Order: sequence, then structure tokens, then C-alpha cells
Amino acid sequence: MRIERYEKIFMALTLVVLLAALAAIGVGVFAAEVHLPAPAGRVDPRQIRRTAPFDQPGVREVAPGEYEAVIIARAWAFEPNEIRVPRGSTVRFRVASADVIHGFLVENTNINVMVIPGQVAEVAARFDRPGEYVFLCHEYCGFGHHQMFGKVIVE
Amino acid sequence: MVESALKLERARYERSALVEWLTTVDHKKIGILYFWSSLAFLLIGGLLALLIRTQLIVPDNTFLGPQTYNEVFTMHGTIMIFLVVMPLNAAFFNFFVPLMIGARDVAFPRLNAFSYWAFLFGSLLLLSSFLFGAAPDGGWFGYANLTSSRLYSPGLNIDFWVMGLQVLGVATLASALNFFVTIVNMRAPGMSLMRMPVFVWMTLVTAVLILLAFPSLTVGLVMIMFDRYFGTNFFNPAAGGDPVIWQHLFWIFGHPEVYILILPPMGMISEILPTFSRKPLFGYTFVVFAGIVIAFLSFGVWAHHMFAVGLGPVPNAVFATTTMLIAIPTGVKIFNWLGTLWGGAIEMKTALLFAASFIAMFTIGGISGVMHASVPVDYWQTDSYFVVAHFHYVLFGGSLLAIMAAIYYWFPKMFGRMLDERLGKLHFWLTLIGFNLTFFPMHFLGVDGMPRRVFTYSADMGWDLWNLVASIGAYLLGASTLLLFVNMLTTLRKPADAPADPWDGRTLEWAIPSPPPAHNFDVVPVVRGRDAFWIEKYGAEEVVGPAPERHGAESGHNPHNPHNAGSGDEAGHGSSAGHGQSAHIHLPPPSWFPLTTAAGLTLMGAGMVVHATESLASLGFPIVGLGIAMVVVSLLGWTFEPIHEESHA
Repeated sequence: MRIERYEKIFMALTLVVLLAALAAIGVGVFAAEVHLPAPAGRVDPRQIRRTAPFDQPGVREVAPGEYEAVIIARAWAFEPNEIRVPRGSTVRFRVASADVIHGFLVENTNINVMVIPGQVAEVAARFDRPGEYVFLCHEYCGFGHHQMFGKVIVE
Repeated sequence: MVESALKLERARYERSALVEWLTTVDHKKIGILYFWSSLAFLLIGGLLALLIRTQLIVPDNTFLGPQTYNEVFTMHGTIMIFLVVMPLNAAFFNFFVPLMIGARDVAFPRLNAFSYWAFLFGSLLLLSSFLFGAAPDGGWFGYANLTSSRLYSPGLNIDFWVMGLQVLGVATLASALNFFVTIVNMRAPGMSLMRMPVFVWMTLVTAVLILLAFPSLTVGLVMIMFDRYFGTNFFNPAAGGDPVIWQHLFWIFGHPEVYILILPPMGMISEILPTFSRKPLFGYTFVVFAGIVIAFLSFGVWAHHMFAVGLGPVPNAVFATTTMLIAIPTGVKIFNWLGTLWGGAIEMKTALLFAASFIAMFTIGGISGVMHASVPVDYWQTDSYFVVAHFHYVLFGGSLLAIMAAIYYWFPKMFGRMLDERLGKLHFWLTLIGFNLTFFPMHFLGVDGMPRRVFTYSADMGWDLWNLVASIGAYLLGASTLLLFVNMLTTLRKPADAPADPWDGRTLEWAIPSPPPAHNFDVVPVVRGRDAFWIEKYGAEEVVGPAPERHGAESGHNPHNPHNAGSGDEAGHGSSAGHGQSAHIHLPPPSWFPLTTAAGLTLMGAGMVVHATESLASLGFPIVGLGIAMVVVSLLGWTFEPIHEESHA
């Protein structure tokens, strides 16, 4: 089969672009340690309110400047829907669903994870700038999907 | 020739026009049925899109309530994918694949009719949900466990969705088998695989994709049905089920589905660009193999819809890689189309304008697609309006623009009338401007963080301006679509005077009159190379293979100009009608059984929906039983139906 010279050139070009993109992923994942959400445990949705740590949803300090926020996502609200942390703190969110699939996205951070019933989603971010960071459910979950949001207040 | 064929038919079946259409097994009539039904559904789906854009035109709007909004966006997606783009592709498969390969019909004409009726009735079952105020509201992706649980999705909404899609799935699978067998077995002598028009190639590839992908959807839908009706717990995490399984099953169907929607339009583009550039397709082999490679890779990329699920770094990295790989064959195709236009004697017809705009718009959609492939970037974009912008550039800017091109290109062949070019160009520019006005701002909205599938947004989010622009664009698109209908309907009132070969075409469908006679070809054509008809008209520039031998006396009778090219003259008709072969053309007789089988199948689905009601639940299973009986009796009748051989002499 005869291959035109131009075809060879643009095949080579596409290959180069792709290899560069692949290299970028590799560097991102392994060198820069981009956080990829992975299930951090399982929780029975029926027992969620009796299972630690979800029996006490809320935010607590685990070390100086480090906070853990335990959030229950349910149709159609987050519990709690307001979290206050001081500026410069790192917050580790542990989110689980009490019913259907929800999403958890915090604006202006890299946090974007699906909250699968049965799984605990664990994601973290550092909040350096004071202000309000809206977090919302972005996975369609039925009638009240649009009103399912809350905020992180950084003081 | 047309007259004699018609007389033959009329003598055999003294039937009304309505009965003729209901019982037809002619691939061209079935293609026309697909064409008009899916265009009608396009109007419905478009209307729903306008409702969505009207709701979002200002912040805090209360035009639609949240429940209505959810139903509207679910049905918009489901209709546009299953009831518009797929059947519009099927309309062109049906009408043109047999013509392009020089066949008289598809391999299984009655199965073909069954596919159409099952498609129509399944669509009507799905749409009838509006009449009961229970339109599906789970999104076109129907994520379990929202959809699989009667606790979270009470009502008939999801039942209509599951049953409608099951019937549509049967129709699609039957159609895919039919076209696979047709293309493999029924090509004219000399039409080797690598001489087939690219549209035929892409139809073949799409048929394989459908055969491998749709069973996965069927299995998933059966599991949802069992969870809802019979208390199984496939997707119920409280009982040890896992809702993520649905996502895997759905997307291993869902991603090939994207290529099922785009590969046939790519084939159309590969026919239209060479015709209006008066050049052969640049890199035919590459375009064909790129299509095959895309189809193969499409089964290895589904988890890129699930990066936010939390599958872990390794699966995410693997699926990111395979997703990026798809960019290679796609990029090759884009360069090949540009290479086809390069240096060609380009004729700026409406069909070419649409085809050329397809390349540009599809490229934008392809680039944002590669952006999604990168996992860290995807976290930004998942479930935001950026994704909405991306797939509308692929499915509207890609599939639908190509289908518009195909409508302008093939309308004369289907209906014997040329669409108005001036209205067509107006339609084109309005579409292109309206489309970009609607969907380009959605990139900005997505980057600004506007999530998908929310029925309204508050005024302090800063999303007002681009939403307003998008809505204005949507109204423009609506107006432009009406122009297409005005153009088609006024054209249909004119006399059928289109020449057989209005565009100086390259493929075999242009070798026969417009519209083609019932038996397509008086004499089965002999193919000497790619662009078979072009070679017959102008000779080949490069060396083409020898023509395969024909049997008997026919081989001496001008074998290479067999099909009255461009002739409206009586002499051409007379000579071909007197030709030895046309007297023995066997046309399959019409049949009621495809229609009744499809009706029985749909009745089964409708019975399941009835079973889920509160007041009429006891009627449900009897209706299902009635449907089964109808299917069984129809299939028996189908099997033992006489073939009327004697009436063809």
C-alpha cells in the first residue's frame, strides 16, 4: 500500500502530539502527584448514620491547620451544608451518599468526585484565599438536584 | 422502464397507497419512511431544546418547574440520539446502501420493514409518556440507583424509558444484522471491499458496532427492569448491589454509540466532498481503516465517562491513553477531507457548504474531546456545560450538519426534485451562525463552573450573559430548521424533474433515474474500480482492475454502460426494458407480518408499563401475553408466507 508523503508527515505529527499528551499525564500522575479520587472505604447506606465517622457529620481539626470534613450527601442536601475553616488550612473531605449517586465539586479547587452509595469518597484541598467556596452536587440526582449545594467559608 | 415496473406491481397488488406503504418491503420506501419519521421527531426534540433554552434564558426562571425541566432534558437527549440521528442515518443506509453496491434490495427485505415498524412503535411508546404526564426524568444515561429503585423514581417515567428503549434496541439490532449481511453478500460483480464507497464502508463498520454494543445496553436495561419490577438488587447498594455496574454497562454501550452516530455521517462527508471537488477522495484506504480503528478503539474508552467515579489512578490513566489514541485515526480523517478539497474544482452548493462546515465544527468538538481525555483537566469539566458544548459540537456540528449535507445531496435521488439552492444557503448560514451562537458560549459557562442538568441558576453566578446568547442562538437554530422544512415541502409540490445525475456524481446511485425504479437496476452493474460510475462516464485516470466476466450474451451488450446514465429519453427506457434481464427481476412481495410482529413486540413493552400502574396493574401481564401471542402468530405467518414467484414472469 502506497502512503503519500503528506500522510506520513501528518501521521508523525499526530503521533508526536499524542506522545506529548501522554507524557503530560505521566508527569501529572507520578511526578506531580495529581490527586485522583479512589474509594477510601465502604459504608452501608442504610447504616450510614450509625457508622463512624458519618454518625457525626461536620468539620473537626485533626492536626494544626489540617481539618477533616465529614459530609453526608442525600436527596437533596448536603449535611452539613456550611463548613468554616481558617485561611491556609488543608481540608480532607470524606463524603458518602445515603441514597442515590450524587456528585461533590468544590469551586476553584481540583475537587470533583462522584459520590457512589456504598463508597466513601475522599478528596482534599488547601484553602489559602479567604472567601466562600461553593460546593455542589453535579451528578443528576432527581427532582431537587439544582438545590443541592453548600459552601466552605474560609476566614 | 419505470412504467413497466409500476405496471408489474399494480397488476399484482391492487392496493391503496396507504396499504402499499404499510406493507412495503422496498428498501427505498422504508428509507423514506425512516426519513420522514425521524424528521418529525427532530421537530419534537428541537422543540424540547427550545423549552430548555427558554427556561435558562434568565436566572431564577420559573417557566418550567424542576420536574418538567428534568423530563424535558431527558427526552431531548433520548429523542435526539435514538429517534433522530440514528434513524436518519438508517434512512440513508436503507435508501442508498443497496443502490451504491448495485443491489436490488437488502438481504432480508421483510426484516428491514420490521426494523422500521419496531423503531416507529418503540418511539411512539416512548413519546406516549408525555400523554400520561410521566415522561422519563432520569437523564438519557439513566444512572442507577436513581432509576433502578422505585423508592427514588416512583411513577411510570422510567418504565416508559426502559420499555421504549428495549423495543428500539430490537429494531436497531435487526437492522444492523440486515445491513451487515447485505454489504457482505450482495455487492455487484467487481465491487470488491476496497472498491466500496466510503459511506457503505462506514455503514458496515456501524453495523458491527451496533451488534457488539447494543447487547450491553439491553442487558443493563433488563437489570433495571428486574430491579424495578421483580425486586432484584443488581444496583441496590443497601443489599450488596453496586450502582457503578450500570455505569460500566451503559458506557461500554454509550461510547461506541457515539461512533454509531458519527461514523455514517463521516461516510456521507466522504461521498459529498469528492463529488463537489471533482476529485477522488484523498487517501481512501486511510479513511476506511481509520473508521475501522475508531470502531475498534471505541470499545476501550468507556471509563473516560467515569473519571470522577474513583476507579483509581491506574484505570484512569489507561482509559485516558486509549481515549487519546482515538484522536489519531480521527485526525487522519480530517486531514484526508481537507486533502480532498485541496486543489479541487470546488462547487459551492449547499451540500458542500454543510459538508465543509462539518469538518470545522467537528474539529472543534474533537479538540475539546481530547481535552476531556486528560484526567486532571476532566475533573474541571465533568458535568459542567463544557461537556454540553463538546458533545453538541460533535453530534450537532458533526452528525447533524453532515446529515443536512446528505439531505441536500441525496434529496433529488430520493424524491426526484432538486431542493432550492437559495433557500438552502440561507438555511445553511442561519444554521451555522445559530449553532455557534448556541453552543460556543457553553464552553465559557462550563469553565465558569455552571453545572449541567440544573433547572435554574441564581443571578449572582455571572452566567446570565452567555445563557442569554445561547438561548438567542437556539431560537435562530429553530428558525433555520423550519427553513429546511419549508424548502422540502415546497420542493415536493413541484414536478419531479430532477436529472438522474445532477451533481456529476461518482457512485452507482447516480447511474439510475431519480427517483429510482422499484427494481433499482435494469441490469446489475459491473464495477471496474472505485468511484464506479465516474469510471463509466469518464474512464479511469489510473489503471483499474479488469471487469469480472458476465455470463452469456449480456457480456457482449455494452456491459460497462448498463444503467441509462442521465437519460430521460424514451429510447434509453425502451432498450433497457427490452433487455433480457429485466423481465426476470424478482421483487419481494409486500407483507403485513413485519408490521404486526413489531406491534406485538411494542404491546409487550406497553403491557409492562401498564403493570407498573396502580389502578390497572392486573391488566399488565394479560397485555404482555397478548403481545407475545401476536409476535408468535406473526412470525409463523411470516415463515409460511408464499413468495409469489409465478407473478414475475
